[in-house]
Amino acid sequence: MNVLVLLTAILFILMIVIGGKKGVRSFLSLFLNFGVLFITIFLMTNPKNSPVILTLIACTVICWISLFFINEMSSKTITAFISTMITIVILLLFIVFVTEKSMLRGFGGESTEEISIFSLYIGVNYVQIGASVIIMSTIGAILDVAISIATSIHEILHHNPLISRKKLFTSGLSIGKDILGTDTNTLFFAFFGGYLSLLIWFKDLSYSIGEIINSKVFSTEIIMIFCAGIGIALIIPITSSVNAYYLIKKREKTENAS
Amino acid sequence: MENITKKKTYNKVLFYILIAICFIASVFFVYHNEAFYARPIAEVIKTELTDSTTESDMYNNEDHLYTQRITAVLKNGEEKGRNIYFTNQYSSSGAFDQEYHVGDKLFVTIKASTDKNADLTGTILDVKRDQFVLIVAWIFIFALLIVGKRQGLFSIISLIVNSVVLSFALDLYVNSNINLIFICGVCVLLFTGISLILINGLNEKTYAAIVATLLGTVISLLISALVLWVTSENGLRYEEMQFLTRPYRVIFMAGLFIGALGAVMDVSITMASSMFALFEQNQDISDQALKTSGMDIGKDVMGTITSILFFVYISGSIPMLILYLKNSYPLGQTLSLNLSLELARALAGGIGVVLTIPISLYTSIFFINRKRAK
Repeated sequence: MNVLVLLTAILFILMIVIGGKKGVRSFLSLFLNFGVLFITIFLMTNPKNSPVILTLIACTVICWISLFFINEMSSKTITAFISTMITIVILLLFIVFVTEKSMLRGFGGESTEEISIFSLYIGVNYVQIGASVIIMSTIGAILDVAISIATSIHEILHHNPLISRKKLFTSGLSIGKDILGTDTNTLFFAFFGGYLSLLIWFKDLSYSIGEIINSKVFSTEIIMIFCAGIGIALIIPITSSVNAYYLIKKREKTENAS
Repeated sequence: MENITKKKTYNKVLFYILIAICFIASVFFVYHNEAFYARPIAEVIKTELTDSTTESDMYNNEDHLYTQRITAVLKNGEEKGRNIYFTNQYSSSGAFDQEYHVGDKLFVTIKASTDKNADLTGTILDVKRDQFVLIVAWIFIFALLIVGKRQGLFSIISLIVNSVVLSFALDLYVNSNINLIFICGVCVLLFTGISLILINGLNEKTYAAIVATLLGTVISLLISALVLWVTSENGLRYEEMQFLTRPYRVIFMAGLFIGALGAVMDVSITMASSMFALFEQNQDISDQALKTSGMDIGKDVMGTITSILFFVYISGSIPMLILYLKNSYPLGQTLSLNLSLELARALAGGIGVVLTIPISLYTSIFFINRKRAK
């Protein structure tokens, strides 16, 4: 039996047992997101499509699935959706700038052997693909923060309907601070788990610190971690202000109507 | 009272000044640190396009090839200040090559020449990237400090301490014969303690989270090991780890161990925090009520945290997947060669996350009851 099939089956069963209906939905959305990622990769192989634009579209679809499919369409998920999209656009501009400047693209020294059999002149823009990789690996965390803050701000307003916009915004920020630490941690360890073999490779070849920092693979990885952290930090004020603005507007509307 | 607040703002100002000084000093240093590198560094001062052709390979992929002539000036070593000339060929896709611009700093080799007065030539090895890494690092630090204030500072500290621990551990592994899984086990203990105490402080909540994290990671690792053993690793392709000269199975397992840790910590601290908050709001809350609300919270975070892991692992293989597909590699093989390890990591992490929900539910209730008994 195949390892992946068995692991998937175990994950699915656990999700059903522990999460019930919501677990089934979470599992399905993982599956759908995986599908979206795949279709995006296929479309990227056509040099006529810009990888950055494709990534933006893919992110929209992924947000749509994770927000409106797992949680129903509500003012909570709509505000989360808006703030995620704003953050992604800002972050994408920043990342394209950074990858362009630092010449992080394509493959590093560790894969020379593996790719030596391939034709490398394939016409696809690898600068943009580098940017796509970074944004795609962050999107999960950004979504997580957006939905947590939106949920808590709605909760606060529900318990305390007369709260001012500024108070709502600051309470959003303070919830965000708690998530900031744990989410950067999650990404950090996930990256290090994934790149453990590379780190051992560097140590084996006894690279000096200078050589490690300047190498393409390591600098890509570390800039990826930093960009992910910046994304998480960025979405906290954005989602807090979007939520505060939207909810107060809504409250004023109902007040005027009555 | 006034004195205390005064002292606090004074400390704050001092802290900001310190950060600003660090920032300016490090940026200045990194732009002028050529002398510290043993490898020759050259800065590009002129580029000239000499040739451009259109290339198409046997799979009908079209690409443009360019040749540029580069004049650069050496920034360190014995030949410092002299001009050096290169020719560079690059494609517009840039999968393994790149165009260089005026101002880029490059690591180069200098071709030995018998004639002292001849023009220096050489080959380009790599780009000097440390200044970009540093600047992005500072943006990251500022973003975390501005948004997270105290918590931001603590997460930066925890990231730094954890990387130092990891680096030490890998040195130990490379230079001795100690089992990697054992080293990683010790690391996981340290990581969990350091991160959770720094994020959350020393209290019952943290203890509950630490116990849940350790149990969750160990159980999920055991499950993954069992699955690997039962299926005799059918379907896992280790080819992408081929550049290692070490037993890659063990390294893969260790990566699995560390990779899942962050997500498991995330779940257990979220669960512990919200359950302790519920208890503090209402000290008489029953175990049953705690259990139901804890489960609800767990169900909420389950999906998002597993998808964080999926996106992190799978996105990393996008460049390779595209290269394989453009070279008309069969789809099935492309996927199993490039994604099997990533998917296994993501799935194992997901299993850890889901399992940690009930585990941290019970550890939190246990520590809440201990607090109640006091």
